Amino acid sequence: MTAGDSKSQKKKPAERVKDQPSEGQSRASVLLLLGSWFLPGLGHWRLGKKRRAVVFAAVVFCAFITGVLLDGEIGTPKPESPFSWLAAFACLGNGVLAIGRLVWLNGLGGLLGSFPFGLQGGGSPSAAGFAYGNTFLYTAGLMNLLTVLDVSDIARGEKD
Amino acid sequence: MDHLLLMIWHALLVSVFFAFLWRSTTTGRRNLFVKTFLIMVVGAAALGWLMFPFP
Repeated sequence: MTAGDSKSQKKKPAERVKDQPSEGQSRASVLLLLGSWFLPGLGHWRLGKKRRAVVFAAVVFCAFITGVLLDGEIGTPKPESPFSWLAAFACLGNGVLAIGRLVWLNGLGGLLGSFPFGLQGGGSPSAAGFAYGNTFLYTAGLMNLLTVLDVSDIARGEKD
Repeated sequence: MDHLLLMIWHALLVSVFFAFLWRSTTTGRRNLFVKTFLIMVVGAAALGWLMFPFP
């Protein structure tokens, strides 16, 4: 590294302040990430990556529907089972799909009244496809959470 | 319920997802899709076959 390079890397205080995101920008980023989680594909769509948005939304939607059709259970936290929190986290990654399914099963009053313990996650443990269905539901949720990280990378300019 | 078909469907969804997540060119996506799909399907079949001798 030459002296010129190190000089060019040092920024004046005014430039450093200019590089920092303003409050409005960071609020927009948080909204973008929340929207990306809530509705699969929305974050990429807003960033102009429409093809990727459609593919991600389709993949998450197909995996979620397959999980539900196979009698999978939306993970809900259970006091006696600490690992159920991981399942709940993975399933909540599906955003509106998971919340909609929980509302469908518990009703809006039941969802708000018995949160977080006591929620019905649906599914049937005796069904042949129960374990497969859970796998599809967890996979869909985790893939959607990965898309949120991808949106964050794209929004920060670290990825195309 | 066909277990093999479910595994192939799962592998297909995951492969498409990661191909679009990690690659930005059509060729790169196609190559990664084929690679991950084959690793998952053929690898699972091979592991299943290897587990036959175990109780």
